[in-house]
Amino acid sequence: MLGYILKRLLALVITLFLIISICFFVIRIIPGAVAGEGALPEIRVALEKRYHLDLPLWDQYMVFLRNFVTFDFGESISLYARTPVFNVISGKIPLTLQLNLFSLLFTIPVGMILGIISVLKKNSALDHTISLLVIFFISVPSFIFGAVLQYVFAFKLQLFPILLNLESRWSFKTFWSMILPILALSFYGIATIARYLRAELFEALNSEYMLLSKAKGLSQAQSTARHAIRNSFIPLCNVIVPMFTNLLGGSLVVENIFGIPGLGSLIPRSITVADYYLTIATLFFYTIIGLISMLLVDLSYSLVDPRIRMGGGKVRE
Amino acid sequence: MERETVLQVNDLHLHFKTYSGVVQALRGVSFELKKGETLAIVGESGSGKSVTTKAITRLLSQNAMILRGSAMFKGTDLLSLPEPEISKIRGNQISLVFQDPLSALDPVMKIGRQITETLIINKKMPYKAAKEKALELMDSVGIPNPAKRFNEYPFQFSGGMRQRIVIAIALSCDPEILICDEPTTALDVTIQSQILDLIKAMQKKKDLSVIYITHDLGVVANVADRVCVMYAGKILEVGTVMDIFYNPRHPYTWSLLSSMPSLESKSEDKLMVIPGAPPNMLHPPSGDAFASRNRYAMKIDFEREPPLFKVSDTHYAATWLMHPNAPKFELPEELRARFADRMGGVVPPKGGAL
Repeated sequence: MLGYILKRLLALVITLFLIISICFFVIRIIPGAVAGEGALPEIRVALEKRYHLDLPLWDQYMVFLRNFVTFDFGESISLYARTPVFNVISGKIPLTLQLNLFSLLFTIPVGMILGIISVLKKNSALDHTISLLVIFFISVPSFIFGAVLQYVFAFKLQLFPILLNLESRWSFKTFWSMILPILALSFYGIATIARYLRAELFEALNSEYMLLSKAKGLSQAQSTARHAIRNSFIPLCNVIVPMFTNLLGGSLVVENIFGIPGLGSLIPRSITVADYYLTIATLFFYTIIGLISMLLVDLSYSLVDPRIRMGGGKVRE
Repeated sequence: MERETVLQVNDLHLHFKTYSGVVQALRGVSFELKKGETLAIVGESGSGKSVTTKAITRLLSQNAMILRGSAMFKGTDLLSLPEPEISKIRGNQISLVFQDPLSALDPVMKIGRQITETLIINKKMPYKAAKEKALELMDSVGIPNPAKRFNEYPFQFSGGMRQRIVIAIALSCDPEILICDEPTTALDVTIQSQILDLIKAMQKKKDLSVIYITHDLGVVANVADRVCVMYAGKILEVGTVMDIFYNPRHPYTWSLLSSMPSLESKSEDKLMVIPGAPPNMLHPPSGDAFASRNRYAMKIDFEREPPLFKVSDTHYAATWLMHPNAPKFELPEELRARFADRMGGVVPPKGGAL
């Protein structure tokens, strides 16, 4: 197991290296300069010198790699001038994390409850209603929900503030203003979980071990809780674990709609103003989240399923 | 010695609603199970063997409807009990062993917990006592080194071992009735006989009444005291194992027996087959369901259903051939010979009053 994790971590480092290298060169291909068109030549020279942009591209790459290895991600050039990008990103993490954590706390239970209900009441009117909602939630993108929720509940009915309250992090007022973005962020996840769980749980409920469990004297509810649910969770790891790691990701459009200064908008904004280091660092951040999440998915499988944990070769007579 | 009856099934009618119509799975099944005996229910696939036991234990799928009939167990009708009551009986007083041990155990739960679970829930045992009892059970069904295997998962067990575990689970709460639904079909032959021996030993030890569902007549001869022959949702013939093997009366039983190879069969011998296929239970035929495949069928077999005729106190058969007015004829000589060599040279009594 430990060897496996080490192997995976090594592969992760190599993948990271490849990705940031590609990013480095691709970003330089994008037209645009650090100093805008009307800038004075002195300023341009000074800027290029400060950010090593006067060196040949290959040398820049070497400097960039050397800095990266020492966790020096450089400074933001224009968006947050002279601030180390590490600070820019880490400053934005808490808010994004808070928002997405709330969203997950809402998404997972609601999604699971809907999935379980639709299995237990399969083919009833309730099940059909849930299935319809699931299709609706999956097909409509979150920014439309964001905009509609904002228009109806914040603008027309005035139940919620239109924008996120940024005065303090933990006040009730802040939480209240987070409800609409949380909802907008949650619908897709709820639908995905409900859909997966419905399919998996239905299969588990009709399995032989459920029959045996009932034959053992367990009630339907006991059998479902003790046997069916856990078995149907194995494939659900694939959906839920990435949700946890995407906590840090943020959503560009929802953040824009509700005026949330989160991580989501960082990449497009930094690209448009040629803030190279900020772009790369943000991309690096996302890449590492994605890779770790994939690693966690694989590891979580083995947590839930002993057959994966122990490998195949141990069957004995 | 007349033994007391533990289970009495009366006139059980059961339908399945499907998209293509109503399947009449059971059409008046009646039998009784006496204390300590083994009752084998034999028949082709789809004859209603498993459905009968699932109806008794109420483990049927949602689309099944019990139309009428009763299953009396200790003075209560199992078929009309509310769900919480029947689930107290299942596993406690009536236990089941299923066909496929590979899929019957929960793949992600340790073997030990799957056994203790029953004890904890049914008998309200504390975990420690349940664990001790589970280890004892594992030992008694022949699992070597139970303390170690207690903490293993089903995938670490072979098929035969898993079936032993399923039997241990079934016996954990000291049931009175054990229903074995083709418990050896999914296992290879050597393991089969081990499992049969285990069930027999357990039955003797605990004075269990066993319902044994199978389509393997070899198994029937090995384990059963009495036999019900089922076809198209009905019991066609019922009798002691001697009655059925030495003096079968229903043409269907004849066909079943003659389509079984014997040790003396040579590889070039053709195995007797029953022509045709079982009837479509969406539209069961009006007369004897077996009539269209029966070379001894008479006109009346196609028109009216035969009642159960009494052959002896223990032996009944539902065929018009048993009617006093039916033409008399012998059990076909070729069958008699086949039965004889299968039964180790014991020739059945000639002219068994047919």
